[in-house]
Amino acid sequence: MKAISRTLFSTLLILASLAATTLRAQDWVHTGTNMGNDRIRLAAADFKPVGADPQTPTLKAAFDATLYADLANAGIFDLVSKSMIPQAAPGAPQEINLAQWTAAPSNAAMVAFGALSAANGRLVVYGWLFDAHNTANPQVLSKQYNEDASQDMARTVAHRFADEIILRLGGGINGIAETKIYFVSSRTGSKEIWEMDYDGQNQHAVTHLGSISLSPRVSPDNSRIAFASLGRDGWAVRMYSLELGRIVSFPAGTAGGSNQSPAWSSDGTKIAFSSSRSGDPEIWVADSNGGNLRRITSFKGPDVSPTWNPRSNAQLAWVSGRTGLPQIYTMDQDGANVQRMTDGGYAISPSWAPNGQLLTFSWNRKYGPGAPGGQDIYVMDIASKRWLQLTHEAGSNDFPSWAPDNRHIVFERAIGGRSQIWTMLSDGTEQHQLTQTGSNFMPNWSWK
Amino acid sequence: MNGVLEGGEHLERELVPEPVAKPAVGSLLLHAGLAGGLVLYGIIGGFIHHNFWGSPGAGSAIQVSLVSSALPLPADRPPNENVLSTDTPSNAPAPPTPKAKQAIDETAIPILGKQKKQQAQTAPKTPQHQPVQDNRAQYGEQAGSSMARATSQNGSVGPTSVSDGDFGNRFGWYVDGINRKMATSWYKPEVDPHTPRGARVFLIFTINRGGAPSDVRIDRSSGSPTLDRSCQRGVQRVDSFGNLPPLYTQSTLKVSYYCEY
Repeated sequence: MKAISRTLFSTLLILASLAATTLRAQDWVHTGTNMGNDRIRLAAADFKPVGADPQTPTLKAAFDATLYADLANAGIFDLVSKSMIPQAAPGAPQEINLAQWTAAPSNAAMVAFGALSAANGRLVVYGWLFDAHNTANPQVLSKQYNEDASQDMARTVAHRFADEIILRLGGGINGIAETKIYFVSSRTGSKEIWEMDYDGQNQHAVTHLGSISLSPRVSPDNSRIAFASLGRDGWAVRMYSLELGRIVSFPAGTAGGSNQSPAWSSDGTKIAFSSSRSGDPEIWVADSNGGNLRRITSFKGPDVSPTWNPRSNAQLAWVSGRTGLPQIYTMDQDGANVQRMTDGGYAISPSWAPNGQLLTFSWNRKYGPGAPGGQDIYVMDIASKRWLQLTHEAGSNDFPSWAPDNRHIVFERAIGGRSQIWTMLSDGTEQHQLTQTGSNFMPNWSWK
Repeated sequence: MNGVLEGGEHLERELVPEPVAKPAVGSLLLHAGLAGGLVLYGIIGGFIHHNFWGSPGAGSAIQVSLVSSALPLPADRPPNENVLSTDTPSNAPAPPTPKAKQAIDETAIPILGKQKKQQAQTAPKTPQHQPVQDNRAQYGEQAGSSMARATSQNGSVGPTSVSDGDFGNRFGWYVDGINRKMATSWYKPEVDPHTPRGARVFLIFTINRGGAPSDVRIDRSSGSPTLDRSCQRGVQRVDSFGNLPPLYTQSTLKVSYYCEY
């Protein structure tokens, strides 16, 4: 009897599952924790040069180096060393032998490869990304680019291809290879706003005001930069149009007192900044055209350096000195629900992560003469107030700013009175210095 | 008589009270002064201390637990000691080559009278379960084989009873992407530490073409409400797993995912 009922039960189960199989119009995947959470082992082959144009070798060199650096910087790959990849450079899917790439020493799980040619002033690049372990359906990505043949364009195409790979394998988060970093540099004599690529290439001045300009913040659509500038009436928040190449009007930022540290909301409609027009420096919010100005804090002591929660645009973090030394606080955009985030020391320069969950800021936890430690960059999980120290015993670190991918942070590090711009991953690893000449500070990572 | 007189003097001397009041007051004053001094020192010392070291509480009562699980980066791997190759470690080395069998000399003449050793008859080995080399999920299995597992093991392998289509075979990289994303969005510290090790909660959710998860529900509870909730929250924290592969023609993808404590 028991045997019969067991058989009946399993038959029913099989029938039910078969019915489910036919009914379902979509695929199923079954997966769980502790499965492939490591970095992806990725090999970036040197691209195959096609044709005999004399420009090809130099463009190929720029392309290969940029692609490799972009993928190495992404923070999600375990990139195969160039010395370990197979010698033959495949230029097309039919030329690649995946077994060579999966074998030791490269042990690649993914391979990026392709061909590059320069002809008649045009640069043509074909790029592929193959899943090396999937011999039946290896293709993950295939791209073609046709641009002007120049060094800059070769680098741009490499950035675009790297971003495609990162987008595809990085869980839908856009790469940052085409983003910019804005910063202040005094290398021309006066403190002006400068711009560079995310990897430190292509550095050039944006403003030429001959005055002192500080804390640049680029708008979410990359069309304008808000910054603090010293003019005839003291410190004012001013606006520079990158499209027009000149200063444009921002009336809210000029009326009396000291106006500093502007911050864009992620929808580009509002700007928060600090102004002492009412006495104490307080946080004010205006529309991005300079209208609808309103004050949202009224505490004793200075309130400066606002930053919006880019996820909701409904909260702000800022620095308040109401208890003496500056501390990081958060509040709703109407000034309600104030919460203190840091429990002591000297905490400044907050920047809110694009995913809305994390804050990064500069913190000297044991502030005072002879106290151990220094000004370092920290990351804090806002919900739990748990934190992680990212920099250790290397100069004085300040002005951290999140990259749009949530994985990178740019910051200023001063060693021996000279400050330079550095980047790192958001766990503090892979620190790279981007600027070398002059004094460079207050970096801001563009939104896209 | 003399003796009596001496005794009376002695008694008189005994009865006269000793002058203890003065020393007692002095001692009291001294102790009060000492205690007052200590309190004063504490107040002044504490005041100066706070001035030097920031506001109260700096560096003492704060939690030193890490936020790194919230960082959208893969977990750190141990450093590689192989200085000759690369900064970053590779996968496991290739398995060793099988030992060569001793060749049988066919030309050898058998010695008469010597009993040939009976070779131990090895029973034909039953096919052993080979652990999967790469650390991938068991996705895209044949419907038949997974059915057998589900029935024979009373469903202990989880909801892997049916899997139609071959999404996992064609787009293994996308499934790996789901794993990586979930690894960073599921916070283990949210789970009650009394939860037994190895407890698993199985979730089912749907991914749309844009990569956003929806319809997150518990397929089989782990028995620990905190583990169930934390795993669900892990999925809800994900904005997008990335667009579904362009070559995948369906509009949604059903995912069964488990969190193991």
